[in-house]
Amino acid sequence: MHDAPIIKLGGFNLDLSAVLMLFVSGAIVFLLCVIATRRLSVENPGKLQNFMEWVVEFVQGIIGSTMDMKKGKPYVSLGLTLILFILVSNLLGLPMGIITEAHQPETIFGHIIEATRTLGHGDHAEILWWKSPTADVSVTAGLALVVFILMNFLGLKNNRKHYLKHYVEPFPILLPLNIIENLAKPIALAIRLYANIFAGEVLITVILKLGFAGIPFMAAWQGFSIFVGALQAYIFTILTMVYIGQMTIHEEGESH
Amino acid sequence: MTILWENILITILAFGVLYWLLNKFAFGKLFAVMEKRRELVQNQLEEAKQTREQATVYVEEQKEALKQARQDAFEIIELAKSNSSKQAHDLLDQAKQDATRLKEEAVRDIESERTKAVEALRGEIGAFSVNIASKLIEREVESNPAEQEKLIGQYLKEVGSRS
Repeated sequence: MHDAPIIKLGGFNLDLSAVLMLFVSGAIVFLLCVIATRRLSVENPGKLQNFMEWVVEFVQGIIGSTMDMKKGKPYVSLGLTLILFILVSNLLGLPMGIITEAHQPETIFGHIIEATRTLGHGDHAEILWWKSPTADVSVTAGLALVVFILMNFLGLKNNRKHYLKHYVEPFPILLPLNIIENLAKPIALAIRLYANIFAGEVLITVILKLGFAGIPFMAAWQGFSIFVGALQAYIFTILTMVYIGQMTIHEEGESH
Repeated sequence: MTILWENILITILAFGVLYWLLNKFAFGKLFAVMEKRRELVQNQLEEAKQTREQATVYVEEQKEALKQARQDAFEIIELAKSNSSKQAHDLLDQAKQDATRLKEEAVRDIESERTKAVEALRGEIGAFSVNIASKLIEREVESNPAEQEKLIGQYLKEVGSRS
């Protein structure tokens, strides 16, 4: 099992790998979008602009399938950011992983890496630096928490009466169940994404141990992982929109 | 699987910053241009529709004009046909009249010529008769003048009635 390069910084545990990978993902997404929207043209769009417009229309399709497009318009940016960020994050761990092996306590930026603190003679720890950020349950939990806060906030803000009423329906005694249902949403989001990507990376590590014999398996699994990464980004985005739609829009004749 | 609340916080912050940056530097422009493009396509569709409608109207007009032209042409041809037949009829009539007139003239000419000839002949015969008579008279008048005069009168009458 690989350890994370965590350092203690003023009482906080700072996971350098997560910080690095989040930064890399964010930077890639940002650069992609900025480059794609640098030379926008109304009459004669370039290839990158066409690609971005395709992505936007794809996200609009997702939103349109879960709620009224007029009400869903403000969420296009959110959906775009989510799908691009999660997709890039999922794919980052596929081409490579960077792992260092430590045999004694190591320090970085003058701080000791926690996983290597107790290493004695003959022990070793493998520190995983480069991975998919979404292969870390804390990161996916962060994303899910954003969605959770957002959907409840939007529900309270735009649809307060029905949002609150929903908790005591169909019977007031089901209040605890409804709360659990609400809480289960972000947990399911976080764990689904984390487990899919983490399992993919574990399997890549295992195939790597096969050496050259593993090349065909690796090729197949890499391809499948790209598919899984895209699929998980899509699922995360569409679930986000479904939840927001459920919370904010009260449809006549519906029980919540 | 350990959950670090610091990681959760960092992720939320990173995601928020990314969302803000993308909105500020990329998506705003992109959405505006996409809206413009949508309008452009809409306008072009509208224009195409209008052009098509105009074309339909134009084609209808052309059809109408063609129909009118055909009818006109038909009328002109009909008129020409009736004109030509009338003209032919007129010509024929004219020719018949001319022929009749010519025939009548010819008949009149023949009549007058005959009359003239008869007159001339009668004159000549008269003269010849006188001549003959005078010759006969020279020989016979003296013997029987009354008988001779009667003979000449009868003779002249016969010539006259025969003409």
